[in-house]
Amino acid sequence: MLCLRNVGYVKNGRKILHGVNMTFREGMSYSILGPNGAGKSTIAKILIGELKPTSGGVLLDGRDITGLGVTERARLGISMAWQEPARYEGIRIREYLTLGGKLKAEEDEIREALELVGLPYELYAGRMIDKTLSGGERKRIELASLLLLKPRYAILDEPDSGLDITAGELIEELLGRFRRAGTTVILITHHEEIAGKTDFAYFVCAGRLVKKGFSREVVDYYRKTCGRCLFVEGSP
Amino acid sequence: MTIKVDRVKEYEALLDIYEREGLDKSLFGDRVAAIIISGDRIIGLNNVPGVEIKGEEIENGVRADVRIADGVELPFPIHLCTGYLKGEGYQRVEFNITVGRNSRVKFTSHCIFPYAEDFTHEAISRITVGENSSVIYDDEHVHGEGVRMISRTEVEVKAGGRYTGKFTLTRHRARELKLEMTAKLAERAVAELTSKVKAVKDDSVEIREVLLLEGAHSRGDLKSTVIAFDNSKVNVVNEAYGLGDYAKGHIECHEVVKEKADVQTVPLLRVKNDKAELTHEASIGRINEAQLVQLMAKGLTEEEAAELIIKGLLGE
Repeated sequence: MLCLRNVGYVKNGRKILHGVNMTFREGMSYSILGPNGAGKSTIAKILIGELKPTSGGVLLDGRDITGLGVTERARLGISMAWQEPARYEGIRIREYLTLGGKLKAEEDEIREALELVGLPYELYAGRMIDKTLSGGERKRIELASLLLLKPRYAILDEPDSGLDITAGELIEELLGRFRRAGTTVILITHHEEIAGKTDFAYFVCAGRLVKKGFSREVVDYYRKTCGRCLFVEGSP
Repeated sequence: MTIKVDRVKEYEALLDIYEREGLDKSLFGDRVAAIIISGDRIIGLNNVPGVEIKGEEIENGVRADVRIADGVELPFPIHLCTGYLKGEGYQRVEFNITVGRNSRVKFTSHCIFPYAEDFTHEAISRITVGENSSVIYDDEHVHGEGVRMISRTEVEVKAGGRYTGKFTLTRHRARELKLEMTAKLAERAVAELTSKVKAVKDDSVEIREVLLLEGAHSRGDLKSTVIAFDNSKVNVVNEAYGLGDYAKGHIECHEVVKEKADVQTVPLLRVKNDKAELTHEASIGRINEAQLVQLMAKGLTEEEAAELIIKGLLGE
């Protein structure tokens, strides 16, 4: 079980997160839903260890992992597919997916991961992850990399951004695949229809947790409030 | 291939080095046009139909004329092997390469100085690419620790021709490298010049690439990638001149710095024709933070992630 306990984050004197509590149980899927600037990506970065909370902590199976860095957390099974995946000059997709040979994966597994995210193996395995790829293609590669990595916790930051109209189907397929592999999915999104595909959801706004529960209930609430920020900094 | 009888040992020593370094030994085969130089002597020479190589031994080196006839398409690269198997000395090689019209050829040039401790190598190449011809020129190096290398290449690409030049010095070092490449393009000619260099210890690297887009609709790309470690010093100057109508040029320089390396890049774009268009992009700095953290979030350490990124940048 992965938990955020009373997590706060301040940047340049501005409070980005206000004592956020969240719990992610094994094998379930969660959305963190909220409008732009709600603090969703900050939560994701705190979960993977890229940012350290200024208050509160992160617990994994009851162990405080707040002080651990990105690599250590990844090795404990917390990994992320980025909203804007980087480009890498001179690195082929196969090499990226296998982390330069550090991740042992059969060619069939690479094929399966690529084809599941809609990229034909023959066309993509040998291609470079450089500027010849579109943002959508890089996004799909990023998702394929998590399928191969099989982490305990897969954080998908805005997985549908930059993808075409098949994004919804792809995310459903991914959620099913991760569920079968026993991976907990934490999906960061501002689209309620994407959030509705997970088991549970957290609605965050202006760095505060507004509502949590079954994703259907949270999404209904989000729709009712039109995703408006209910908290304004400095308000009572 | 004709091998001079008294030079067989040097020839075999070069073959051993190819084997050891994982270079393509089949380039020494009879069906490959080649000139094999060791020091100031020509130790092997082979011509194939459509390719005429003539070599001449000069003071401290070799001069070679390579002529490709019109309409030649070769299944194998032309092999230019320049070796120097002693630790100290000076070598000068001159290549005059003329490619006729409508030909497609590739050159593989190897500079093999594995035992160099205090050695200066000077290479002067003049290449003319005929109308509608395509030339790829790959330049790879195997060096000992003490090489001072001066390399000047002038390329003239005639109308509709294409030249792709790649210089790679990443697995070995040149204590001092002065690399100069100039490409002059006629109408609808295309040139791509790429250099990839890794500088370590106290290496000094100077790269100057010049693109003269003289012809209408000519196009060119200059791309330099340098990884500078330790106390190395690197200076990269990329120049592009837009002279012809609708000429297009792009220059790109990426330098990654570690430790106390001192690196600078100077892009120079000059347009003398309001229909020409030139662009450039440059970056100097540490390895891109986003690339690092995204790889680390998949379980690599920072060092492992940096190594993978650098390997990619250098095309290793």
